[in-house]
Amino acid sequence: MTPEPSESEISARLIAFIRERFLDGDAAGELDETSPLLEWGVINSLNSVILLSFISEEFGTPYLLENIDATTFKSVRNITMMLSDGNQRSRR
Amino acid sequence: MSLHQLVIAAAARDPGAVAVAGPGGELRYGDLDRQANALAQVLAGHGVGPGDRVLIWLDKSPLAIIAMQAVLRLGAAYVPASGTTPVGRVAFMARDCGARVVCAPGVLHSLISAELRSDARCLNLDDRSWQHEGPGTPVNHLVQSAELAYILYTSGSTGTPKGVCISHGNARAFIDWAVHELGVQPGDRLANHAPFTFDLSVLDLYAAFAAGAAVCLVSAGLAYAPGRLADFLHRQRISIWYSVPSALIMMMRDGRLLDRAAPESLRAVLFAGEPFPIRYVRSLADWTSARLLNLYGPTETNVCTFHEVTPADLERDRPAPIGRPASGSKVWAEKPDGRAPHGDDTGELIVDGPTVMLGYWGSAPQLGPYRTGDIVRLLADGSFDYVGRDDYLVKVRGHRLELGEVEAALSSHHDAAEVAVITSGEGIDCRLLAFIVLRAEANSGILAFKRHCSVSLPPYMIPDEIFFVTKLPRTVNGKLDRAALIDVVQLSVKEPAS
Repeated sequence: MTPEPSESEISARLIAFIRERFLDGDAAGELDETSPLLEWGVINSLNSVILLSFISEEFGTPYLLENIDATTFKSVRNITMMLSDGNQRSRR
Repeated sequence: MSLHQLVIAAAARDPGAVAVAGPGGELRYGDLDRQANALAQVLAGHGVGPGDRVLIWLDKSPLAIIAMQAVLRLGAAYVPASGTTPVGRVAFMARDCGARVVCAPGVLHSLISAELRSDARCLNLDDRSWQHEGPGTPVNHLVQSAELAYILYTSGSTGTPKGVCISHGNARAFIDWAVHELGVQPGDRLANHAPFTFDLSVLDLYAAFAAGAAVCLVSAGLAYAPGRLADFLHRQRISIWYSVPSALIMMMRDGRLLDRAAPESLRAVLFAGEPFPIRYVRSLADWTSARLLNLYGPTETNVCTFHEVTPADLERDRPAPIGRPASGSKVWAEKPDGRAPHGDDTGELIVDGPTVMLGYWGSAPQLGPYRTGDIVRLLADGSFDYVGRDDYLVKVRGHRLELGEVEAALSSHHDAAEVAVITSGEGIDCRLLAFIVLRAEANSGILAFKRHCSVSLPPYMIPDEIFFVTKLPRTVNGKLDRAALIDVVQLSVKEPAS
């Protein structure tokens, strides 16, 4: 069984995906864990679906659909927290 | 009867009936009446009186409705801003309309600048001591129907938002129409999907209050959770749903709305704000036997035409018509030469009547008919088909915005030499695209520009995609060639910032 990714790994993979998919690489490297994704218009109601399908493929859907709303997408840190909560719950 | 008296009357009829359902609990008419009265007294203590404006900067919630009602009871007008409205935009709105008080919860309250504090009193809504006050003296200022009830700020082509001023009478004209047309009853549960900053929300709130029905608030966060949005319809036993088509499409496409039988409670689905591709309307019609109504009207005129979808519409290859006059409006089309269009000709839709706004805040009053800028075709049965627009006011997934305002925000970035903004795609697939020619030695990337926009623009006005180009395509006359910009996207010729 593959070990579950650590929080820092989850964050790094999310940041890499968002940079590549929504920010054309973000060459200036401005995106970090705490960047307000909704406020800055990085994530919107359309591409949040793309991000969710990435999460589902990448992390095997540990997230719980009923836990997802705008708060989840506020920052990479919030998404990471939701995912690691999901991991802990599925282990129980 | 004015907008606040609808609540006072409903509370007198049945104080125990639910007026507002979540987020953050239910509010019964008796409680709404008492709390609005108590907050009105607090606002009066801050000097709010007839003719004043009060800005309410707050996420959609029962508390926001209490605040709106409190302001109206004093004979003042409210100016709604949502929690996602940037502080810079709120400050502009407050200064522009000369707000006497800005109401905000603590978390937003702390962002209010010293400059704004010197112009307006700021009321921290986290202090709720007034909620426990007794009935107190009723505050119920009698207003004339032509008096200002609220101001909705919409995107402005010159780079700053403009305030659409709506009177109690303007609002009542289309609310009364809606209550009658839909037969809204005390047992009804109306969904409120639109933010309070958008005119669609006015119908949800006040049609419910006029009938003593419940309005069920969809929290702003659910826009990112189509599955939960679809679930909301069932859980809240919604009988009347009203939203932009994009929201319904998202629920069908990403939220598995159609996988489950339609809730039995649902009896009307209303949509407005953008053309609804007919294939999705067909799916809705297969799913529910509820009435499907296409409503039309810019913020400036409120709902002025409507059309109930018929089986024949579903056979069309284009969206349902926007229909015939509603709300006592007079509606007609004119060609640029002032004559009526005939046959397949198109013309601009013009509206006159009780729903037409008082005017833009700070501008001359709107006397007489309002020219919508929307191009329509008159159908053989006397109804109108929406064709498009002849200017740069666009709809992006149901949100109305002026391309000029987005361009102004981008242009104010120190690294931008030239900018152009266009839309690509239609309906839910519509995207806002920005093209930027950078100054020499510029080093800003996409995120820097998005972040810069977020200072003055709400999230829905921030470009979805930003392309850095070496020059903007121009026509032989030197005008921006927007069609050529679309080619740039299609060819994917983009030069990332490096």
